[in-house]
Amino acid sequence: MGAMFGNMAAFMTGGSGVNLLWLMVVLPVALAVLAVAIPRHAFAARSACFLAATLADLLLAIALFIAKEGSMLLRWTDFEINLAFRVDPFSGAVLLALGIFAVLVAIYSVAFLRRKEKYGQFYCYYLLTLAMANGAVLADNLVVLLFFWEGLMVTLFGMLLIGDRQKPATAVKALVLNGIADLLLMLGVAATAAHAGTFMMEGISQLPIEGLGVLGFVCMMAGAVGKAGAMPFHSWIPDAADAAPLPFMAILPAAFEKILGIYLLVRITFQFYQMVPGSVMSIVVMAIGAITIVLANSMALIQKDIKRLLSYSTISQVGYMILGIGTALPVGIIGGLFHLINHVMYKCCLFLTAGSVEKQTGSTDMRYISGLGKLMPVTTVCFLTAALSISGVPPFSGFFSKELVFDAALESGMIFYIAAVLGAFLTAASFLKLGHAAYFGPLRLPEGVKTEDVKEVPGAMLLPMGILALGCLIFGVFNALPLSVIQPIAGEGYDFSGWPDNWTLVAISCAVLLLAVGNHLFGYRRTGEGLKAADHIRYAPALRTVYDCAEKRYFDPYDIIMQLIKGFAWICYGIDRAINWVYDVFAVDFVSGLSSRLRLMNNGSVGRYMAWSFLGVGFIVLLCLFLV
Amino acid sequence: MSAGMEFVLLTFMGLPLLMVLLNNLLKKEIAQKICLSLGIIAGIVQMAAAVFVFASLKAAGQTEADFSQFWDLGVGASRFSVDFFSLLVLFCIGMVITAGFLTAGKTLGDKKFNFTNLAMILLLGMNGIALVTDLFSLYVFLEITGVASFVMISLNKEGDGIEGAFKYLVMSAIATVFILGGLAFLFMQSGSLQYGDVAAALSDWQYAEQPALLIAGFVLVLVGFSIKSGVMPFHGWLPDAYQSAPAAVSVILGGIVTKMAGVYALLRLTADIFVNVPVFNQILMLLAIVSIVLGAVAAITQTDFKRILAYSSISQIGYILLGASCGSAVGLIGAMLHFFNHATFKTTLFVNSAAVEIATGTTEIEKLGGLQEKMPVTGVSSILAFLSTAGIPPLAGFWSKLLIIIAAWQTGNVFIAGLALFASIFTAAYFLRLQRCVFFGPAVEGLEDTKEVTGGVCLSSLALSAITVGFGLLFPALLLFLQGQGLI
Repeated sequence: MGAMFGNMAAFMTGGSGVNLLWLMVVLPVALAVLAVAIPRHAFAARSACFLAATLADLLLAIALFIAKEGSMLLRWTDFEINLAFRVDPFSGAVLLALGIFAVLVAIYSVAFLRRKEKYGQFYCYYLLTLAMANGAVLADNLVVLLFFWEGLMVTLFGMLLIGDRQKPATAVKALVLNGIADLLLMLGVAATAAHAGTFMMEGISQLPIEGLGVLGFVCMMAGAVGKAGAMPFHSWIPDAADAAPLPFMAILPAAFEKILGIYLLVRITFQFYQMVPGSVMSIVVMAIGAITIVLANSMALIQKDIKRLLSYSTISQVGYMILGIGTALPVGIIGGLFHLINHVMYKCCLFLTAGSVEKQTGSTDMRYISGLGKLMPVTTVCFLTAALSISGVPPFSGFFSKELVFDAALESGMIFYIAAVLGAFLTAASFLKLGHAAYFGPLRLPEGVKTEDVKEVPGAMLLPMGILALGCLIFGVFNALPLSVIQPIAGEGYDFSGWPDNWTLVAISCAVLLLAVGNHLFGYRRTGEGLKAADHIRYAPALRTVYDCAEKRYFDPYDIIMQLIKGFAWICYGIDRAINWVYDVFAVDFVSGLSSRLRLMNNGSVGRYMAWSFLGVGFIVLLCLFLV
Repeated sequence: MSAGMEFVLLTFMGLPLLMVLLNNLLKKEIAQKICLSLGIIAGIVQMAAAVFVFASLKAAGQTEADFSQFWDLGVGASRFSVDFFSLLVLFCIGMVITAGFLTAGKTLGDKKFNFTNLAMILLLGMNGIALVTDLFSLYVFLEITGVASFVMISLNKEGDGIEGAFKYLVMSAIATVFILGGLAFLFMQSGSLQYGDVAAALSDWQYAEQPALLIAGFVLVLVGFSIKSGVMPFHGWLPDAYQSAPAAVSVILGGIVTKMAGVYALLRLTADIFVNVPVFNQILMLLAIVSIVLGAVAAITQTDFKRILAYSSISQIGYILLGASCGSAVGLIGAMLHFFNHATFKTTLFVNSAAVEIATGTTEIEKLGGLQEKMPVTGVSSILAFLSTAGIPPLAGFWSKLLIIIAAWQTGNVFIAGLALFASIFTAAYFLRLQRCVFFGPAVEGLEDTKEVTGGVCLSSLALSAITVGFGLLFPALLLFLQGQGLI
């Protein structure tokens, strides 16, 4: 087996004379086309093609992960805009992660989408997304990176349109917010290339953040953070949760976009530029992370729909990764990346459990569903594992990565640590509420759904959930396994595996968890319902107004931008009308008015002609006196 | 100078006189029949002679040749002279006279005999203007040209024609007074009216005993010739005269006469006499740009075919003078070429207006419409001519306008150059309106039976259009020739 991958690795990266790196992009695209070309009714054939594509991609990714190094270059122009791909240990690991999650969610999707319309489009966009993501990770040229990055935006738009083509509001919102982030990235790429003097990534190394570099760094960082879905580029994700098919949520906002965004952020902050701990840029990045953690978690706490709650939670977890990387400390970077991989696992798992609930009951609204634990035991166990992990309960994976981030945050500033701990409290409270409301308590189902119809989902859906839940446990207990891959990225000689060193922090974290449990019990006693366990926070005196405004979308950056754009459009309209008036009315009236005036002046009177002539003579004489 | 060339040079002055004599010595009945052929022959022979002299000068390596008409070329004697520019102008004159006579056949009825006499005298006058080398002779030929054209405008002895001729006469008289007065002042300073002597006297005019007299002299001369050429604001008579003249007369008048009497003289003055007087050029440039813009603007709302052409002439004269006023070789060459191009395309358009008048009986554009299908040759030649006027490549007008605007730009008056360029939009505007009203769209009621005018009119439209297109296409070769001569 190992020898097989070794041979493949040599083959892929040109070790045997043929360079097949481009297969990572071309193969999914080709199979995506094939999947759409197969007749609509051949569900099995289409799905087989779809699964084969993701499996093949995973095999290639494993080969690259083993190969560790490789590159290919296709010269296009003289401006250094070449098709350049490169694999290093970091991107190899990222490709592997993409491949694994692609396979798991693909298996789940096939079961989930059975007997649903437009599944072919979903397959196609899914594989195109995979191809674009692979391309973006492999790209060794800023322009190529940009190309694949924009490609991801296109597939995202397409996937969101599958849900309801008549009401593309969510898709447009996602397009606008991602478009702004991508435009910033484009600007950043231009500034970075000008700063470095090259488009080739391998030639850009440790640029100082000054002058043009500030623009380049900030814009590229905004592009990366925007793709990861941090504030203020986040607000389309909860809307998408309502509109898009659930596997979409599991694969794009929860998995791929996080992986890619954080991957690029790490590349920017530690390869292209040189971010120093304690520098202004470091504080900016950390502040984005901290604000995202607190605000998104506060919103997650009050959601009544599983998918929306998970969406806000997804946004908040990005905050931890950005905070960790923003510290620029090795422990923070390793913690951020470790949290990324853990997050993708448990959040994928959580979305998949939500998908199972939706598949069986037709709803994810916790006001109508409750007490599913007895009916869907395996799903409930998977949910519990993932929820424990996200809440940071030892010894699940989330605990260890969060501890690393806490450590780095405390070292960088007390305020960041407090934000992170507050986030942990809110996360735990949210998931206590979600678990209590949806899986425990008295059984309640939406109208028209019979109890005997609600049973455990099929094995093809359980398998990915199970694998991911198991992963959450394994990556916690045997955390040396993932860390051995992650630690070399931050540098030589780091070892954070095993139990955390700082017992004080562990104690504080555990105390915060207990506080969350106490809070939940307090809320539950007060209202008698798991769903309303957070109501004392929701309707607390000062917070009440803020939450009301948030629910009315007063803080949605998209809505604010749209208002600004309306004003801008109004101004542009006015300018356009004015210019039109100048051309269509003023110029025409002026010239034809002048012309008629001149026509009428030539009335045939010789006297008048002579008068003009003498006036002309007078004028010339004056001119002469003036000029001579 | 070879004997052959000496003989050919005599034709410029002699042939018109000979034709007048022939016309009057022949029996009246015969003269009525062949008089137009005499004019056509005179025009064609003049073109051939111009080409021949050009070739001879080129072969001899000369740039100019002096000659007299049977008197000795002693020191101080008056003399004629040809150079490349006057040859170009003589060629233009021959071309327009030919076109005019070709048009006359269908428009003049029993006035052909008188027309021939007057046109030959006009030809004599214009050739004289092209050939003379002193200011007083210039004045004499100017008067010959003027008198002949007054009579020609009123040839039909109708109210309009007489009124137009009267206005031209009055304004010309004023111009004559100005010119004569100016010549007197210049003569006081220089003691001679030979171009070269006056230029020499003006070379350090600031230090002359009485510079005010000199300034008065050139202001008067400038104004006089400006009236003659119809530059704004001295243009009042021009549209009235053009509109009221009979068709064949307006071809000659609009195509060449006012250009010879005014513009050519001004070109000679700037190139040969007032070389060292920058003020002259500055004032001329101002008059030119005013004419370009206002002439084009005024043309936009005119309702008469010939009146539009008249205002267009004012605008195009502005371009010629703008080139001349730049004081550079490029500008002067641009002006000369635009002179030639203007003679070509404006004659084409006047011939077209004559064709429309013959076919429909009117030149009011509101009453016309949809003639393109009925009169394809007229319609197409009109399009070519107006595209050339507006300066659309690769037609001839584009190149000369380009040279003029480049020259204006080089003088540093960027604003004026830009304005001259911008006025092309107006040019296109009024000609598109003309073309749309007269030729495009459905045929207007009552014009369904219109037929293309055949014979001479059609022939001259075709020939002139061919010159416009051919000259435009061959222009690069001409530029190379001029470069070879060291002129640009």
